[in-house]
Amino acid sequence: MMTATGSINGHSVRKPWLRRLADASEPYLYSAPSLILIIVVMLVPLVIGISYAFRDIQLLNPFSGGFIGLEHFRELSKDAAFYGALKNTLWWTGASVALQFAFGLVLALLLDKPFWGRGLVQALVFIPWAVPSFLAGLNWAWLFNPVIGPLPHWLFGLGLMSQPGNILSDPQYAMWGPIIANVWWGIPFFAITLLAALQAIPRDLYEAASIDGANWFQRFFSITLPFLAPTIAITVLLRTVWISNFADLIVVMTGGGPADRTQIVASYIFTQAFKALDFGYASAIALVLLVLLLAYSMLIILLRQTLLNKD
Amino acid sequence: MASIEIEKLEKSYGHVSVLHGIDLDIRDGEFIVLVGPSGCGKSTLLRMIAGLEGVSKGEIRIAGNRVNDLHPKDRDIAMVFQSYALYPHMSVAANMSYSLRLRKMAKEKIGVAVASAASKLGLEPLLERRPKALSGGQRQRVAMGRAIVRQPKAFLFDEPLSNLDARLREQMRAEIKKMHGDLKATSIYVTHDQIEAMTLADRIVAMHGGVVQQVGSPLELYDRPANLFVAGFIGSPGMNFLEATYAGGSVKLKDGSGIEARLPTSIQEGSGLTLGIRPEHVVITSDGSGRRAAVELIEPTGFGIILHLSLHGIPFKVFTLDRQALAVRGEIMVSFPPEYIHLFNDEGTRIG
Repeated sequence: MMTATGSINGHSVRKPWLRRLADASEPYLYSAPSLILIIVVMLVPLVIGISYAFRDIQLLNPFSGGFIGLEHFRELSKDAAFYGALKNTLWWTGASVALQFAFGLVLALLLDKPFWGRGLVQALVFIPWAVPSFLAGLNWAWLFNPVIGPLPHWLFGLGLMSQPGNILSDPQYAMWGPIIANVWWGIPFFAITLLAALQAIPRDLYEAASIDGANWFQRFFSITLPFLAPTIAITVLLRTVWISNFADLIVVMTGGGPADRTQIVASYIFTQAFKALDFGYASAIALVLLVLLLAYSMLIILLRQTLLNKD
Repeated sequence: MASIEIEKLEKSYGHVSVLHGIDLDIRDGEFIVLVGPSGCGKSTLLRMIAGLEGVSKGEIRIAGNRVNDLHPKDRDIAMVFQSYALYPHMSVAANMSYSLRLRKMAKEKIGVAVASAASKLGLEPLLERRPKALSGGQRQRVAMGRAIVRQPKAFLFDEPLSNLDARLREQMRAEIKKMHGDLKATSIYVTHDQIEAMTLADRIVAMHGGVVQQVGSPLELYDRPANLFVAGFIGSPGMNFLEATYAGGSVKLKDGSGIEARLPTSIQEGSGLTLGIRPEHVVITSDGSGRRAAVELIEPTGFGIILHLSLHGIPFKVFTLDRQALAVRGEIMVSFPPEYIHLFNDEGTRIG
C-alpha cells in the first residue's frame, strides 16, 4: 500500500518534468527528419566544397591538402583567363536568355491561338528540351562542321560567309555556336511556362479591353504583359542561374576554345577541376560564381518585390 | 446614343445553327431585355452586337451604319460582363479610365469623367483600391462605372447581376433602372431572370431555340403571351396548361367537362387546344361551384401561398393571398374566370 502510494507520488513528481521535456522538444522532433536530411544532403557537401576553396587540393600532388587561406583568391584576382571567362559568361548568359525568352514568348503567343493540330504541335515543341544536352551539343557541333553539316554551306550560299568554314573554330564568332545550340535547346522551357501563364489569363479581360477600344498591342501591353510579369521574372531568374552554370554545350562543342574565346566560368571550373586536376582552385572559382549568382538573385528578388508592392 | 437595327441575323458554328434569322429594331434610348432559358442564343446575340462573335448572315446596324465587319473597339459600345472582367492589376480609377486613356483624352477631362461616374455609383472612397479588395457588389459597380465614363452609343449587359446575392441583386436592379432613367442610353440587357426582365425592360425580347418568340412591353408579354413558350416562361409560379378540344361549339377538357372561354370566331370544329391560366388568376370557390382538385403540397412564400393541386391527374398550381389556404386539406373547388383564360392552338400559337 505504501509502496504503491510512493510510486504514484514518484510518478506525479516525475511526470510533469518528462511532459515538459516532451512538450519543449516536440516541434524539434517533428522537424528533425527533414532538417537532418537537408543538413546531410545540402549543407554538408556545400561546406566541404567551400572548404576546398581555402585548401590546396591537387589530385596529382600527394603533398597537397593543407590550409592556405585566401591564396587561391589572390591568385584568382590576377588570373586573366578568369576575367575573360567572366566576360564570356555575361555574353553567353545574356544572349542565350534573351533569345530563348524572345523566341519562347513568340512561340507561346502562337500556340495560345487555337488552330487545327495544336495539341500535337504543343507536344512537338517540347522535344528539344527532352534531348540530352551532350547529344544536343554534338548534334550542333556536327551541323556547324562544314565536312558533314549543311549550315556552313547555307550561310556561304546566303553570302553571310566568305567560305564555308566552321564558326566554332573562328575566334570572332565561336561563341555563337553554343549560343545557337542553347537557344534551340532552351526555347521549349520558356514557351511551355509562358503558355501556361498565358492560358491562365481570363479571356473576358481581352474582350473587355477590346470593347474599351484597345488594339492588339494595347491589349498585349495592358493585359498580357502584367499577367505574365511574375512568370517572366521567375523564369528569367531561374534560366539565368542555370545557363550561367551550364557548361555542357560549351565543353562538348568547343571545349572553351579557340584560345579560350568560348570559355565561361562554369567551363573554366570544369577545366581546372578535371583537366588541370586542381580541385582547390576550381572550388575557389566556383565560390566566386556562387557569390555572384546569389547577388544577382537577390537583386532580381528585390526588383520583383518592389514591382509587386508598386502594383 | 443610337438606335440599333438587327436584320435577318444568323449565327452558326460549323453545321450547328444557333440563331435563326433574328429581326429587331431597337430605338434610341430604349431599354431592351433579351430573356430566355440558357442556350436560347441571347448571349450570342449580345456578343454579336458587341463584335465579340462574327456574323454568319444578316446585318447589324448601329446608328444606321453597318457594323458587321467592325472590330469591337470601333463600334463605340460599352459592355458589362457577368464576371465583371475588371483588370486586376489596375486600381478602380484606372479600370474606369482605361477606355478614355486609350482614346488619348486629356488628363483633366479623364479626371472629371471618372469623378462624375464614381459619384453616380458611390465609388469615390474606393478609387485607389484594387478589384480584389472589393466586394462583389462593389466590383459590379466598378464594371458599370467603366461602362458609363465614356458616352458610348449603347450599353450591353451580359447577365450583370447573376453573381450577386438576392438582396444585392434587387438593389442593383433598381440602380440600373434609375441610371437608365438619368442617362437615357440605349441598353441591351441579357438575363434569364424574368423578374429582372419584367422590372427593367421597356421592351422584352423573349427568345427560345435561337428564335425570337415575342417582342413587347413586359405587361404585354404577361397579359397576352404570343405562344406557349412565352406563356410558360413569363410569370412565377408558371402558367397552368390544360389540354382541351373544341367540339360542339364549346371548349371541352379531357375529362369531357365543358369550360367557358372567350373563343375567337375562326376556330375549327374538333381542333386541339391548350388552355392556360396563371396560378394567381385561379379562384378558390367555397359555394360548391367549379372543379374539384386534390391538394398535394402547400408552399407559403410569406407574401402569398402556392397550392400544388392535382386536377384530373395533372399538376396544377394556384397562387392566393388568402392565408386560410394554409389550412386546406384534401380537396378544394377551383374555378377559372373566362377573362383570364389564354387559348393556344395545337401549334402553340395564341388564339384568344
